[in-house]
Amino acid sequence: MIAPSQQKVDALVVGGGIAGLQTALDLADQDYKVLVVEKEASIGGRMIALSKVFPTLDCASCITTPKMSSASRHPNITIMTDTEVLKVTQGTEGKPSRVKVRKNPRFVDLDLCIGCSLCEYACPVERPDPFEWGLGATKAISVPFTNAIPPKAILDPEWCTACGACAMVCPTDAIDYGERAQELDIEAGTVVMATGFDLNPVTVKKEYRASESANILNPLELERLLAPHGPYGRVLRPSDGKIPDNIAFVLCAGSRDKSIGVPYCSRVCCMYSIKQAMLLSGAVPMAEITLYYMDIRAFGKGYEQFYQNAKAMGITFTKGKVARIDPVDNDNLKLRVESLEDGRLLENEHDLVILAQGIVPRADADGLGVVLDHDGFVKCADPVAPTKTEGEGIFTAGCAAGPKDIVDSIVEASAAASEAAQHLIRTGVVPVQATEA
Amino acid sequence: MEPTPNPLESPDQPKIGVYICRCGGNISDYLDTEKLADTVRGIPGVTLSKVDTFMCSDPGQDRIVQDVQAGLVNRVVVASCSPFLHEVTFKAAVRRGGLNPYLYTHVNIREQGSWAHGHQGDAATQHALHMIAGGVGKVRHLQPLDKIRLPSHRRVLVIGGGVAGMKAALDTARRGLPVLLVEKAPQLGGRSLDLGRVYPSEQEARELVKRLEKDVRAEEKITVLTGSEVTAIGGFIGNFEATISTGSEQRTDAIGAVIMATGFTPYQPPEGEYAFGHSQVVTLPEFVKALRDMPSGKTLTWNGKPVRSVGLMHCVGSRQCEGCFQPQPDGQLNDYCSRVCCTSLLRNAVELRSRFPETQIYDFHQDIRTYGRGQEDYYTCASDQGVTFFRWKGEEPPVVTARDKGGLAITVKDQLTFGEEIEVPVDLLVLGVGMMPGPIADLVDQLKLPVGADRFLQEVHPKLRPVEVAVAGVLLAGTAQGPMSIEESLEGASAAAAKASILLAHDYTDLEPFVALVTPDLCVGCNACVEECQYAGAVTMEAGPEGKSVATVNPGLCKGCGACVAVCPTRAIDVQGWTLDQFDAMIDGMTDEALRVPATQG
Repeated sequence: MIAPSQQKVDALVVGGGIAGLQTALDLADQDYKVLVVEKEASIGGRMIALSKVFPTLDCASCITTPKMSSASRHPNITIMTDTEVLKVTQGTEGKPSRVKVRKNPRFVDLDLCIGCSLCEYACPVERPDPFEWGLGATKAISVPFTNAIPPKAILDPEWCTACGACAMVCPTDAIDYGERAQELDIEAGTVVMATGFDLNPVTVKKEYRASESANILNPLELERLLAPHGPYGRVLRPSDGKIPDNIAFVLCAGSRDKSIGVPYCSRVCCMYSIKQAMLLSGAVPMAEITLYYMDIRAFGKGYEQFYQNAKAMGITFTKGKVARIDPVDNDNLKLRVESLEDGRLLENEHDLVILAQGIVPRADADGLGVVLDHDGFVKCADPVAPTKTEGEGIFTAGCAAGPKDIVDSIVEASAAASEAAQHLIRTGVVPVQATEA
Repeated sequence: MEPTPNPLESPDQPKIGVYICRCGGNISDYLDTEKLADTVRGIPGVTLSKVDTFMCSDPGQDRIVQDVQAGLVNRVVVASCSPFLHEVTFKAAVRRGGLNPYLYTHVNIREQGSWAHGHQGDAATQHALHMIAGGVGKVRHLQPLDKIRLPSHRRVLVIGGGVAGMKAALDTARRGLPVLLVEKAPQLGGRSLDLGRVYPSEQEARELVKRLEKDVRAEEKITVLTGSEVTAIGGFIGNFEATISTGSEQRTDAIGAVIMATGFTPYQPPEGEYAFGHSQVVTLPEFVKALRDMPSGKTLTWNGKPVRSVGLMHCVGSRQCEGCFQPQPDGQLNDYCSRVCCTSLLRNAVELRSRFPETQIYDFHQDIRTYGRGQEDYYTCASDQGVTFFRWKGEEPPVVTARDKGGLAITVKDQLTFGEEIEVPVDLLVLGVGMMPGPIADLVDQLKLPVGADRFLQEVHPKLRPVEVAVAGVLLAGTAQGPMSIEESLEGASAAAAKASILLAHDYTDLEPFVALVTPDLCVGCNACVEECQYAGAVTMEAGPEGKSVATVNPGLCKGCGACVAVCPTRAIDVQGWTLDQFDAMIDGMTDEALRVPATQG
């Protein structure tokens, strides 16, 4: 997807999730040449793996795939997948930034692969599917997921036995077991960091004993169970494949908790939990669903009404922070919580528990030409230009600069594109059409 | 522009491809998409029908591209979600295949099919079949069309000179486009001028305003008109015309795009709501301004009286439950969250505690929504500083009464002490009032802007097009769209500027060709269409050949509403892409009794 010669671009966007793609599209539509660098094998980021999204309940694919598709077809956008950014050296005095990237081996030649999946069928090795958080299986060589872009195979060297079965069936000789990582230096007039977030792991709070039960899920795992093309095709609990009928959501399980080092609010957990509860009540209509919460932060446009709808649907909202979770018989889980409704100490048994884990900064955002704030997210330097970082000509959008929902990330991505375009003009990079004015 | 003839596009031999989307399961969980595809194949002219899990994905779109390129189809129908989401996507795929994109019809079998009638089993599938048959009927009669290209004014009007308006103006101008920034008040800065320090940066709001204003004034591409109002505005993308009044003077400007940065109005409680009207009850904006300008001390004073305790009331004019509050003139309650009041109240609680250490604070909330970066710190800090919190349920708001011995009593059923009823005496009550849209009814009316149930301006789609409205060329910046913080308003403003720069990237605008078209030979010059038309100048009578009067359409002004079509006695006028023949064919398809999906066995 990139010619080795294209090592000079107007803008380099780090991260091909929804924020990065929106920034790239807005810059490219202004006739700037944009390179999107994505670490994973496909663009689409976290959003493409979601089921439906609040508050409109559109399917996530319906919003993400068109943006992925537009970016991949845009004449001004080049996408490099499987590529990590190693170092960003900011350009001072109006000079471009220098970005060192490493294209990791995919062991499949993207120019040759036609995405026919014959390799996948021929491969004898099954491995846990990372896209499904290991809830489903895929082959050691496979197309990452149904609507991946590029829709081409990737080989996982951890699992591959080099049996040669895939290479035998590949009609275009695209498989290259000997591919090596390749480093490239890129010169970019501006850089936008849209590196996204990590999920605080479910094991972070020891009192919840998540490592002892398969029936404690993180919210992104539940997204896969709820997704129409998810691993089971319906919602089953992992330990025994039973249809759950008494499900608990534990809010603030990985945020607003000094004891786990995340004192801040992760901003999205209330709303995604309410949404998941609503989707579950559609997928498993007979199930009892309870949300244990501290505050419901339904702050955005249409969010409060969404919350009220969930209450009207019969979802139970219990105010109280869950103190501990213990595995009991039948793979069920017992939640201990003081209800603030009436002060009773509740010990409620549930057969599936979702810990609404918070958003934490990506470990690898460091050293990329930006300064990190005390919360670990990219520091924003200017209150009247919220997407500006401390690095000259380097901007940020989406969860790289703190937890954010999709709506706010997309608006911020456009804002970052606006600031980045201004930086380009200031430093003399003017696209052809701007001279018409 | 003459359409390019394309040998594939001969209407005599329609080869119709029908593509049915499962939408992951949104459609196929309820409708039998495979049966639909099988049945549709029997309709005359349909040469192929296919089902895909996500037609909007790359492989889905490629099906269309490849079939068109292979000459298998020369008309395309996609049956999927609302055209609002993906009509553009599929038209682009049709074009990539080498076909005129207007030889495409979109059928909505999700919002109008599986989501609406999903529980009706075979009947729902049958209903979808008839909708698809209607689409097939229409597509058979479509003609290739081309967009209407009109010259556009590369100039942006920003209405409102608050922080959002200034930021939008600045970003747009720095991107190379001339900007007119119109502000009603005599000075720039809007409501931020009345604020003190703002979260999360803890900068003086007036400093932020000063910085923005300095940049705005220094930018030669920006014309600032303060003390001015847009008194009339009309037109369409690339070609708006705005009349701006400054005192008794008026000017008229040609504009390509409009950014609405008209801001908000704080909720004004009716007399008596939480004892509003009492001298010791004050709204948050008034309190913030007063606090900013008063000297610090041991105890706060208000109206000359020492204030030993302050009550902070959340959700005033927001998250209102039915029966508890007086509705707005339109009969609606403000049921939405105003997003900024929680953090703003707690930020000021922290400031109060530090500046007036002997004044106690009691906070009355439903939920504490300190959601944003750095905001939770204010909550934690307020707790650490001894602010006492009470929590009420939406349907049981606290009751505030004046006490005989002065001050106020707040009675709350406190959820933090398990519903215990507590009476809290306070010397001053601050009402955390929410946001309401600004008074912009005239602009809404003249530009025909969509407004949501919350009365704020309504974006096209919160994720697909979050700062655009359905009226092309009009963009949203800041709180005109809904409650937001300063930081969020600035980002919305920058986003609007980016979109304006994209819309006006060139000195022309391409409009959809769905406008009225006259067949001059059939026109009898009766003037009925001109009389019926709602859009001044869209259709006029002009002298035709042989001195006969003939209706003539201005495609820039015509909205394609079809009112003229309905009154024409001779069928001389039609809307391109939506002709009467096409409607006839749609209805024939939709009512074709012979079309049946086989019933599900067992």
